[in-house]
Amino acid sequence: MSDEPTETADAAEDAGTVVERTDRELPSWERVTESEWFVVGVTTVAVALFPWLFARAPVVSGVLRGYQDLATLILIWGIFAMGFNLLLGYTGLLSFGHAAFWGGAAYAAGVFSAQVSSSPILVILAGTTFAALSAWVLGFVSLRRGGIYFAILTLAFGQMAYYMALSPLAWITGGENGFTGVQLGKLLGVFHLRYPVPGLGWLVGTWKYVLVGAVAILCVAAANRILHSPYGMVFRAIRENDQRAEFVGLNVWRYKLMAFVISGTFAGVAGSLFTIYSAYVPLSSFYWTTSGEVVIMSVLGGVGSLFGPILGAGVYLYVENIVSGVQKLTVPFTGPSEYLTLVEEPIVLLDGFGAYWHLILGLVFVAVVVLFPRGIWGLLEDAGSALRRLGGGR
Amino acid sequence: MTLVGGPLFVEAVVETFLNGLQQGAIYVLVAIGLSIILGTLKFVNFAHGALYLVGTYAGLLITLKITPTGGKLADWGYTTLGLGWGFLPALVLVPILVFALGLLMERFVARPFYDRPDTDQILLTFGLAIVVQEVFKILFGGQSYNFARPAWASGQVNLPIVGTFPEWRLYIIAITAGVVVLVYGLIEYTDFGLVVRAGTRDAEMVELLGIKLSRPYLMVFGVGAALAGVAGVVGGPLYAVNPNIGTEVLVPSFLVVVIGGVGSITGAVLGGILIGETLAVMVAVAPQWSQVGIYVLAAVVLLARPQGLLGTEEVAP
Repeated sequence: MSDEPTETADAAEDAGTVVERTDRELPSWERVTESEWFVVGVTTVAVALFPWLFARAPVVSGVLRGYQDLATLILIWGIFAMGFNLLLGYTGLLSFGHAAFWGGAAYAAGVFSAQVSSSPILVILAGTTFAALSAWVLGFVSLRRGGIYFAILTLAFGQMAYYMALSPLAWITGGENGFTGVQLGKLLGVFHLRYPVPGLGWLVGTWKYVLVGAVAILCVAAANRILHSPYGMVFRAIRENDQRAEFVGLNVWRYKLMAFVISGTFAGVAGSLFTIYSAYVPLSSFYWTTSGEVVIMSVLGGVGSLFGPILGAGVYLYVENIVSGVQKLTVPFTGPSEYLTLVEEPIVLLDGFGAYWHLILGLVFVAVVVLFPRGIWGLLEDAGSALRRLGGGR
Repeated sequence: MTLVGGPLFVEAVVETFLNGLQQGAIYVLVAIGLSIILGTLKFVNFAHGALYLVGTYAGLLITLKITPTGGKLADWGYTTLGLGWGFLPALVLVPILVFALGLLMERFVARPFYDRPDTDQILLTFGLAIVVQEVFKILFGGQSYNFARPAWASGQVNLPIVGTFPEWRLYIIAITAGVVVLVYGLIEYTDFGLVVRAGTRDAEMVELLGIKLSRPYLMVFGVGAALAGVAGVVGGPLYAVNPNIGTEVLVPSFLVVVIGGVGSITGAVLGGILIGETLAVMVAVAPQWSQVGIYVLAAVVLLARPQGLLGTEEVAP
C-alpha cells in the first residue's frame, strides 16, 4: 500500500536512462513520513529507546524521574488509546464502554493462563479473541442507536460487564478481590519475562518490555495499515457524513460495527498485556472510570492522528504516577537541583499539588475539548508547521 | 421475608413493589431533567450527575451540621459545617440553587456547544463532571457523610397489607409524584410548555414565527437542573453522601431515558418505575443479578424498540 517512495523510484527507472530529476521523482519529506516503513521504523526506534530515555538515560531520566515499569504501562495504555481512537477519531463514534473489552480481555487472559496455558503469546491471543467477540456482541446492540445514544449504551453495557464480574461471575473472576491466579510461563518457552535481555538490558530492560514493545509496534503497523487502506478511508467518510456515505452505497452500519470490533480488539490486546504486566486483574479494570480514562487520554493526546492518543496515554500516566507524587510545584530550576540552579530558594507555584492532580487534569481536559479539539498532538503539528514556515519551507 | 406461601407471599410482593417504586422515584427525578434537556435542547449532559451531587451536598449542609474529617475544609480548620436548618428548607432552597446553576450552565457551557458535534458535548460535560467531583473530593474528603432522614419522617408506618414500612420511602414516592405532576403540567398546559414542545419539533419554524427560543431553552435547562437538585436532596438519606454518587446515579438515569424514550416525561416515569421495580424484584429473587438485571432490561427494550418505549421516531434521531 503506502510505499509511494519506492513507486516513484520504479517510475524513474521505467522512464529510461535519461532522467530529468523533477520534484515529483524525489520522494518529498511528506511522502517519506507517510510511508509505512517509515512509520514502523520510527516506532521501532522510539519503542526501543523509550525505556532507556525514561528510566536510565543521563540527565533526561533525571528530569523525567520515570521508571521501567511505567514505560511498559504507557505502551500498554498507548495501544488501548490508539485502538479507541480508531473508533472516535476516525469513525466519530464515542464509546464509554471500552473498559468491557480491556477488562474482559484481562480476565479472559488471566483465566486462560490459569486454566489452559501460561504461554504469554497464547494468553494474549485468548484475551484478544474474547475481547473481539464481546465487541461484536456489544457493538451489535449499541449501534442500534447512533450519536449520543451510542455513548450512553456503551456506557451502560460496560457497567453491565462490571456488575457481572462483581457478583454473578465472582466464582471465576474473584469478585471484589480481582483475579489473582494469573500464571505466566516463559516467552516462547525460553525467555523468562522478568529477566533482563542479555546485552541489551541497559537499553530495553526486561523481556517483558520486549514483548510489550513488539506487540505495540505490531499494533501501530496494523493501525497504520488499516487507516491508509480503502477500508480506513470509509471510516473517515463515515465520520464526515454518514448519510452521504450511506447514499454512495456503503453499508455504514457494517463499517461502524467493524470499526467497533477492531477498536475492541486493540483494547483486548492491551488488556491481555496488562494482565501479563501486573500478573493480577483488578475488578476496577471493568469500572467505567477505565473507559473514562482512555477517553481522556485519547482526547488529551489528540484524536484523529495515529500517535496522538499514545502521547496522551503517556502524559496521563506520567502525571498520574510521577507528577501526582510532587507535593510542591515549583518553577523549574529554582531551589537545589542536580543540574542547574538559578535561584537557591524554590519558587512554589502550588502547594499540595499531588492532591490536586486529578482536578488539574480535568480542567486541562475541559480546556482541550473547548480550545484545542486536536489535542496535544495537534498543537505539536501546528507548532511544527509554523517552524517550517519560519525556516522558509513550503 | 419469604417468598413461599399465602399471605406472606402477597405481603412480600407488595413490599417489593413499594421498594421498587421508591428506587425508581429517584431515577425518575434525575431522568426527567436529562430527558427534557436532551429532547428539547439536543444537548447531552453527562454533568447531570454532578448537579445531583451539588444538590446532595447542598441539602446536607442546609439540613445538618456536619464535622468534616477529611479534605481541605478540615485542613483549613472548619470543624463544623452546615446550617442545621432541617429538611424542609433544604427541599425549597436546593432546587433554587441548582436551578441558578442550571441557568449558568446553559449560558456558559451548553449554548456555545449547541452547534458542535454530539461527541464534543459529551466530552465537555464529562470533563466538567470530573472537575465538580474532584472539587467536592478535595473540599470534603473522599469519605461518606450520613444524611439523616428528617425527624418527622424517620419512623415506620403501618400499611394495610405490608405491615411496617419506613415512612421516608413513602415520602419519596409522594414528593416525586408531586414534582412529576408539576413538571408535566408546566410542559403540557402552559404557554411556556407549548413553546418548548414546538421547539422540540421544529426549532427553526418556531424562530421564524417570531418566538425567541433562547429564553425557553434557558428555562428548560434550569428546570432540568433543579429536578436533579430535588433528587439529590430526596435521595440523600437513602445513600451515603460521597463524591462518587453523582456518577453512580447518572448511569441508571440514562438507562431510564433510553428505555422510556427521549423527551417524554411519561416515558421517563415509566422507565424509572420499570428500572426501580426490576431492581427490587431482582434483589428479592436473585440478589447477585440485581444490578445486571437493569442492563438486560435496557438491552431487551432496545432490541425490540430502539426509540424507547414511549419515544417517537421523529424526535429521537
